[in-house]
Amino acid sequence: MQPTLKVQALSKTFDVRAGLFKRKKFEVLKNISFCIGKGETIAVIGETGSGKSTLAKLLAGADNANSGQILLEGNIIEDNGIRDNQCRHIRMIFQDSGASLNPGLTIGDMLDDCLQYNTDFDEEERAEKINLTLSKVGLLVDHQHYYPHMFSVGQLQRVAFARALILDPKVMVLDEAVSSLDPSIRAQIVNLLLKLQRETGLTYVMITHHLSLVRHISDQVIVLDKGEVVEYGLTESVFNNPQSKITQRLLSC
Amino acid sequence: MQLLDVRNLTIELRTSETVIRAVDRVSFSLKEGEVHALVGESGSGKSLIAKAIVGVLNERWNITADRIHWRGVDLMRLTPEQRRQTVSKDIAMIYQDPSRCLDPTAKIFNQIAETLPEVARKGFFLKRNRDRKDRVKALIHKVGIKNHEAVLDSYPHELSEGVCQKVMIAMAIARTPKLLIADEPTTALESTTRAQVFRLLKSLNQLKNMSILMISHELEEIADWSHGIHVLYCGQMVEAGPTHKIFKQPRHPYTQALLKSLPDYEQGLAHKEPFYALKGTIPTLQHLPIGCRLGPRCPQAQKECVVTPTLTKHSGHSYACHFPLIKEMK
Repeated sequence: MQPTLKVQALSKTFDVRAGLFKRKKFEVLKNISFCIGKGETIAVIGETGSGKSTLAKLLAGADNANSGQILLEGNIIEDNGIRDNQCRHIRMIFQDSGASLNPGLTIGDMLDDCLQYNTDFDEEERAEKINLTLSKVGLLVDHQHYYPHMFSVGQLQRVAFARALILDPKVMVLDEAVSSLDPSIRAQIVNLLLKLQRETGLTYVMITHHLSLVRHISDQVIVLDKGEVVEYGLTESVFNNPQSKITQRLLSC
Repeated sequence: MQLLDVRNLTIELRTSETVIRAVDRVSFSLKEGEVHALVGESGSGKSLIAKAIVGVLNERWNITADRIHWRGVDLMRLTPEQRRQTVSKDIAMIYQDPSRCLDPTAKIFNQIAETLPEVARKGFFLKRNRDRKDRVKALIHKVGIKNHEAVLDSYPHELSEGVCQKVMIAMAIARTPKLLIADEPTTALESTTRAQVFRLLKSLNQLKNMSILMISHELEEIADWSHGIHVLYCGQMVEAGPTHKIFKQPRHPYTQALLKSLPDYEQGLAHKEPFYALKGTIPTLQHLPIGCRLGPRCPQAQKECVVTPTLTKHSGHSYACHFPLIKEMK
């Protein structure tokens, strides 16, 4: 079976200043490769500064890689830093949904913008799609007239999901999207994630430091340290039998 | 001996239209050398309680309590100056957002040195300076920062969140307080630093016999080393008792929901199976339901729940519910 998302030898370097005129190359990600099938979840864990968020940005297309390919269902969408414009297939959800939504737009307008720029639906189809998406994430149709400040944290997270889902993506990148929530709301959102995965076969790339959650919902785990993959495998085998020292240290605390 | 004894603490906010009761008659007590946890979701008034004990809430908040006894002295009856002295001598607090609570315009060394006033008054000034430097260095080593020179000579924005948090702890333990109030000390940190901070707090508790009041919204992080847990929901104490009893036999539906949302606790849960979750969201302070505040979300709610339930107590385990999950107390 063709994997949904395949990443081959992805590398990213940043230029940092070293002295007055000199510049130094700083490697954030070195040779990252993994692949993930339809309806599966891959979790990326690691300490701060290990390049987790950079990986998320590269996948979502917010930044370009220096070398390596990203393949989506067999088609190359990024090749050595040149991105094919397919942002609608890989969508990202940010950590703080309250800060990543435009406070001046109603939810309906915001979702409408997404559709206007990425699809050729007419007005009626767009309205229908918005209603459908809102009900999919457990919000009411009337909520599209609301502004972000009128929602609670859990509902804002649902709005963020709606914005990601409205373009029917194949892959969703979750950058610490659930770990900052309160426990009872987190349970609701995790249930929503699992339900969406079951119904639509979404693939998740989950970046988090909440290890028990990783164990519960992910199929594969990548452990990153200083931009390198130190361990990659099925969740159960990595958690039960960690090979590298870094993984053992991460799991023991 | 009871270190801290709080009875019926109520914190209200006066607005132009109504009075909002953010914390509703909360009682708890803490013995010397114990670690207690206040658990609740955001907006449940955990931080307010901590701030009310330390006395740093501003005048808009109206605090009433039957008593807040600190080692037999009622803090509510002291004059502000006396209270300030008692609190500054014995109670220290770690605030929620370390990089925002440190002074951005002063270097770390000066900020820590400021918490050691008694050193500054003894001896000749050269000795005084040396003493101060030594004390600050010793403190910063104690919290596990190794490169003290670089850290002491930097401003808060130059340091990572974990180091800032450790600096805050160093400032809090500078006067060896009897009680340390830690207000979500690890929310901003990732797992390895979090484990370090917990290890540090744990060793302080064991070696210095320091009592700790931990405030957190995660049950699992404090489960294995706290003596007692107090669960708050929307300003009401819903359940309180020794940690092992709460984990083994939760009596309040809310505590049960909290426990069931932990993947570690629910052993029987299959991979990718949905969690047990309460419906709805936490009500805002302006629209609190009457009676039991969990009422609209509670699976067991009945007609009686519009009356605020009283706290039923049995051998150290208390709960406030009309329909507890386990009826008889054995």
